[in-house]
Amino acid sequence: MAKLQEKTLTLLSNNKSTISTANSPFSDTSNDYAPPADLAAALNEQEKHKYIRLKQIGSGTYANVYKGHLRADPSSLVAIKKMKVQTDYKEGLSMDSIREIKFLQELSHPNIIALHSVFSSKDQNINLVIEFMPHGDLEMVIKDHDHVAYGLADVKAWMGMLGRATWFCHENFVLHRDIKPSNVLIAADGQLKLSDFGLARSFADPYQPMTHLVITNWYRPPELFYKAKYYSGVVDVWSCGCVLAQLVLRSAYIHGETDMQVLDAIVQALGQPTEENWPGVSKLENYVMMKPPTRPLTSKAEMMNLFGTLGPVGVDLLMAMLALDPRKRLTSKQVLEHEFFKIAPRPTKAADLPKKGGGEKQAAEDLKRKATLLGEGRGGKVAKKLDFGAARR
Amino acid sequence: MQRNGAVPAPFEDAEEECPICHSKRYLRKDMKFMINPECYHKMCESCVDRIFSHGPAACPVAGCNKTLRRARFRKPTFRDLQMEREVDIRRRVAEVFNREEVDFDTLKDYNDYLNDVEDVTFNLIQNIDVEEAEAKLDAYAAANKQLIQSNMKRAKEGVDTFRARQEAAKESAQQRRKAALQEEEETRREEEEERRNLLKALDAGGDAEVLTRQSQEAMRYRAQIRKEALANEISANENANGSAQFTIRGLKKHVEKEEEEEEKPYDPFDGLSDKREYFVLQEDYGWENYDRLNKPEYSAGGYNIHEYYNRALCEAFSGLGVFIGDSSDEAPPAVASAGAALAAASPMSDDVF
Repeated sequence: MAKLQEKTLTLLSNNKSTISTANSPFSDTSNDYAPPADLAAALNEQEKHKYIRLKQIGSGTYANVYKGHLRADPSSLVAIKKMKVQTDYKEGLSMDSIREIKFLQELSHPNIIALHSVFSSKDQNINLVIEFMPHGDLEMVIKDHDHVAYGLADVKAWMGMLGRATWFCHENFVLHRDIKPSNVLIAADGQLKLSDFGLARSFADPYQPMTHLVITNWYRPPELFYKAKYYSGVVDVWSCGCVLAQLVLRSAYIHGETDMQVLDAIVQALGQPTEENWPGVSKLENYVMMKPPTRPLTSKAEMMNLFGTLGPVGVDLLMAMLALDPRKRLTSKQVLEHEFFKIAPRPTKAADLPKKGGGEKQAAEDLKRKATLLGEGRGGKVAKKLDFGAARR
Repeated sequence: MQRNGAVPAPFEDAEEECPICHSKRYLRKDMKFMINPECYHKMCESCVDRIFSHGPAACPVAGCNKTLRRARFRKPTFRDLQMEREVDIRRRVAEVFNREEVDFDTLKDYNDYLNDVEDVTFNLIQNIDVEEAEAKLDAYAAANKQLIQSNMKRAKEGVDTFRARQEAAKESAQQRRKAALQEEEETRREEEEERRNLLKALDAGGDAEVLTRQSQEAMRYRAQIRKEALANEISANENANGSAQFTIRGLKKHVEKEEEEEEKPYDPFDGLSDKREYFVLQEDYGWENYDRLNKPEYSAGGYNIHEYYNRALCEAFSGLGVFIGDSSDEAPPAVASAGAALAAASPMSDDVF
């Protein structure tokens, strides 16, 4: 607190000149007095001035993302996420940006994306300055079949990092509620960074209902499809389980067009939730039984067929993360404590993890080019030999 | 005349004349000009001989009062004497300021250094604050005598290894050529012999086609063997010469520090702990108000009352150990009695620990 006050005071004194020139009627009234509106504007201007915005590198429904760097040091790259003005939220900031700012400025962890600064640009657009991630996200790695190959040790390292991020959120009573491969970014040093806290919220008080309309539906746990209003951190663990399965399969494990199809996919993949395997499930508002015959819970042998590369311990972890009954599902802490992370192979070091994109592709291109050069080289030698022959004759 | 100021071997201009004796190239075809790096006034060789053969003398150019010595006269490399002078100055400065990029931590430091050096050089060339620039140069040379020496040695080594490598490459090329010639010679000899053998065999009577094919195959086989042997020999020679080795100078020392980390077992929590400083979470706080949460419509969705207990306790104690008066970031956490705090926050539990 004291620190904050001090900071504000120094900022105040630094900005005295700016403020007084900006608002001349006040300049000679009192030495230390500055109208709050102008102070805020001046602070904002100062913050904005620290960064230079370069070209656009991405755009989504809610925001455009630009590459940028510190004005003082062009080598320190940042990403500037400029939130689009929402039509539904004419009277202020969108929920997304508020959630994102609120939680990102609280959470500081190597596997959670860092929020460096926030400022508003003209038209009251909110800009978030976040870490720059040159290597894309986990989804690109999973999808890039041709150029990226990875093994069990890599999967374990990624799950370890994602698990840490999830656990750290939960330990600080934050539900992420949108964990999926495309929200897991890869930093320059190979570390994964959980990003996009636009759907995050803090844990609910008892009896306080939460919305079930969160998490991208392929990664949504069954209790949310059943419109559960009172849920806990294990909804994020389900999403992590889906990511683990996707890392092994290299395609989404549970998917479908509509919510109903996705729920059906869950039932087909893992079994029909019933009162036996999930006591009380039928009391949930939207509980449905799929058409008979009722599919029994998937056995470990069936899972081994699909996820054999994880080994028996890995399959245990996966099944525990994808337990239908949220009370039987592992918590994010239990995930990290699981035997899977203790047995061989040891997780790959972050720096050695495969990365997608230019690097890999470029390397492949380089290899191709080298191969042709080699061929030319050999051809050249043959030509020389022929020359000798001609000279002799 | 070439654009870069370099002069084609003889000065061709017939109208050119010596500014001292005014003799023209038209009359003296072999006239050569010389300069002295003291003042860069050019004059013909005979003038130099005439004026300076009896020891030091003043420069004959009007207004130039420099004393010149014969020994320092030389032929200019460039026709443009401004250029000649600049090159000399640059050479002199570069001999003193001979640091290389590898000596610097960052590229920026190196560029700053180059900028400073260029300032001195430019001043010397343009005659701006010459005294000061000279003083700077001398001061640096005096202060960094040892370093300059070692850098010079390093640069020379670089040139030497480059030369040695070129030498070795030339030699191996020569060897290759010789080997190829030898091979051709041998092939020819063997072909000759093979043909003779074939003729003999045909003479003795036999299927011409079969014999021809046999002889051709034998020849091909022998050529293959010879080629392999030759390749082996050459590569062995090259390795012995060291020309196949590739050396890169100036690589920064690579520090191997990852070895230590390998020793430690993998920590899934990455050194963090969920241990709370001020409380220990109990299994149950016996609050009747929350009993309803055990009903399936609340519990089936997975709501976990312990998460709430944990959060409530954490929020109750948050801010403890932070002192407003203490501006230091690393304020040691206040050692409030954890037991007392817990008891205060959880009145329902009769056993604190």
